This record gives sequence, structure tokens and C-alpha cells, in this order.
Amino acid sequence: MNLFAPILLMAQVEGETTTTTEPDGIQLLLPASSELIAGLIAFTIIFVFVWKWVLPMVDKRLEARQQAIVGQLTAAEATKHEAEGVLADYKAQLAKARDDANSIVEEARRTADALRRETVSKASDEASEITRKAREEAAGERERAAGAIRDEVAALSMAVAEKAVAGAVDTKAHAKLVEQYIAELGALRP
Amino acid sequence: MAAEDRIDGYASAILEFATAEDQLERVGDELFRIARAFESSTPLREALTDPRIPAERKKGVVSDLLGDKASPLTVSLVDFVVSAGRASDLPAIADRVTAQAASARNKAIAEVRTAVELDAATIARLTTALNKATGKDVEVKTVIDPTVIGGVVARIGDLIIDGTVSHRLEQLRETLNKR
Repeated sequence: MNLFAPILLMAQVEGETTTTTEPDGIQLLLPASSELIAGLIAFTIIFVFVWKWVLPMVDKRLEARQQAIVGQLTAAEATKHEAEGVLADYKAQLAKARDDANSIVEEARRTADALRRETVSKASDEASEITRKAREEAAGERERAAGAIRDEVAALSMAVAEKAVAGAVDTKAHAKLVEQYIAELGALRP
Repeated sequence: MAAEDRIDGYASAILEFATAEDQLERVGDELFRIARAFESSTPLREALTDPRIPAERKKGVVSDLLGDKASPLTVSLVDFVVSAGRASDLPAIADRVTAQAASARNKAIAEVRTAVELDAATIARLTTALNKATGKDVEVKTVIDPTVIGGVVARIGDLIIDGTVSHRLEQLRETLNKR
């Protein structure tokens, strides 16, 4: 499509209008050729200006804007990934904390069970030991009492025997005991 | 100085005196009897060992007790030991003197305890029997000790041959206590 067609058309209309002295009809609406040329030149200048400087500037701005948006999108993506990573870490830590808590609770339960068993066992042992000692003490007391009675009986018996013997040992008995001693010495060998 | 050394020192001094006076056998015999009396009599032991009683009074006790029953040399020697404050060592010193005196005569002392006094013939037969039983030439020193009740106990050094009634009663007591 020819971009200058409207301009040529307006120039042609302008040329035709110049042949008449008084414009009429459509010519009343069309500008004069000089105005048209001036407008064309102005348009060209503006067009060139826009084409040469404004459009690149706009393109540059748009490019920068696009880059910024892309950067922001990339950053947002990275942030999202990072957030997902943090979330995954958090979930992993949460799961680990839950496992740890479960382990601690389980360990505490095992420890409590062991402690309970140990306490029961210790109490049972102590009770057995106390019972054993009590039995031994009772047996010892019985033995001591029996021993004391035996000693008492023996002491009384001996006291009676000593008195009886001392009274029975007269001069004759003394002599006999000495002779018996001498005879027993004769049986000894150095 | 250790107690043993001190006792040996006193015993050696007494032996020297007794030998010099040619009374070793008599002094040894009297010291032996005094020592046994000292052991068996608590009042005598307390009177001679009590540090609160003055030495002069102790000498008076010794003179009163021994006066005419022992030789003047024995009395003087006992006075010497008691005045030196060694009355508690008197039995050990006497035993040492007796043993050394007997040893000088190649004899061993046999301390014989009986409830009643033995006659010379019985002592002679007892001496012969102890000689055979121990294989030593013993010199019998008799001690009257009513606690033995009856029979004889002889001690020759560390050897004790006990045939007393009190010993048999003691054995019977131990047997009863074991049951």
C-alpha cells in the first residue's frame, strides 16, 4: 500500500481546485496544496522523529521494563523455590522433631519400665535380705539364749562340782593325785 | 630402755651381788617365793606398786613381810627394786634371776604348783620324773597354790604339764560349754 496516496490525492484535488477561482463542493473541505505540503513535511519530520528517537526510546523502556519484569519473575521464582526448600526443610525438621520426640518418649518409657523393674527387684531383694537377717538374728538370739542357759547351767554345775571336789580332796587324796601325776610323767617322753 | 632390757639389767645386777656374796641359790630361791607371793597377793602388789605411797613406807612393808623370813641380802635387793619404783617388775626379775642361776648350774627351773606342801621325798621323785619327761636337768621350785584344788602343775620354760583338779574341771567346763 502506498503511504503517500492520500497526499497525492489531496494534491490532485488541490490542483483541480486551482483551476477554478471559487472553490465549491468537496473543495471547501480540502486544505490548500501549500498547507498540504507543509503538513506533509511536518508529518514526515514528526514521523522520522518518532521513528528515529521516540520508538527506540519506547522500545528501550519496554525492553528495560520487560527485563525488570523477567528479573522480578525470576527472583519470584527463586524465592518460591527457596520458600519451597525452606518449607521442605521445615517439614523434614518437623518430621525429625516428631521422630525425636517419639524416640524420647519411647526411651523415657523404657527407662521408666527399667527403673520400675529395678526398684521392684531392689525392694524385693531388700525385703528378702531384711527377712533373712531377721531370721538369722532370731536364730542367733535363740542360740545366744541357749548358750547363755548352757553357760549358766555349766557354771552352776562347775561351782557345785568344785565345792564338792574341794571338800572331797583331803590329804590322802592330795597324795594320791601327786602320785598319779608322777606316774603320768613317767609315761611322757621328751 | 625396753622393759626386757631393764629386767635383764636388774636381774644381772642381783646375780652379781648374790654371786659375790656366795648366796646365789638362796637368794634365787627366796626371790622366787617372794615373786609368787607378790603375784598371788593383791594388797601386797598394790602396796608396793602404788606411786602415791612413799618409798620409805614401801621399804617398811618389805621389812615387815620378809624381816626374819629371808636373808638380809634378799631383803636389801628387794628394797632396792621397790625403791627404784620397779616393784611391778619384781616377778619377772625374780624369774630371770632364778632361771639364770639355774642355768649357771646347767639346770632348768620347774615351777611346781600344788595345793598342799610336798615333802622332800615327793619333791625328789617329782624331780626325777620331770627330768625323764623333759630330758632336762630340772630344779624344782614349789609354790603352794590352793586354786589348783589338787594335783600338780609344772611349768618348765614354755612347757606346761598340768595334772591339777582345777585343770580337769576347766576341761569339763569347756566340754559343757561346747555342747
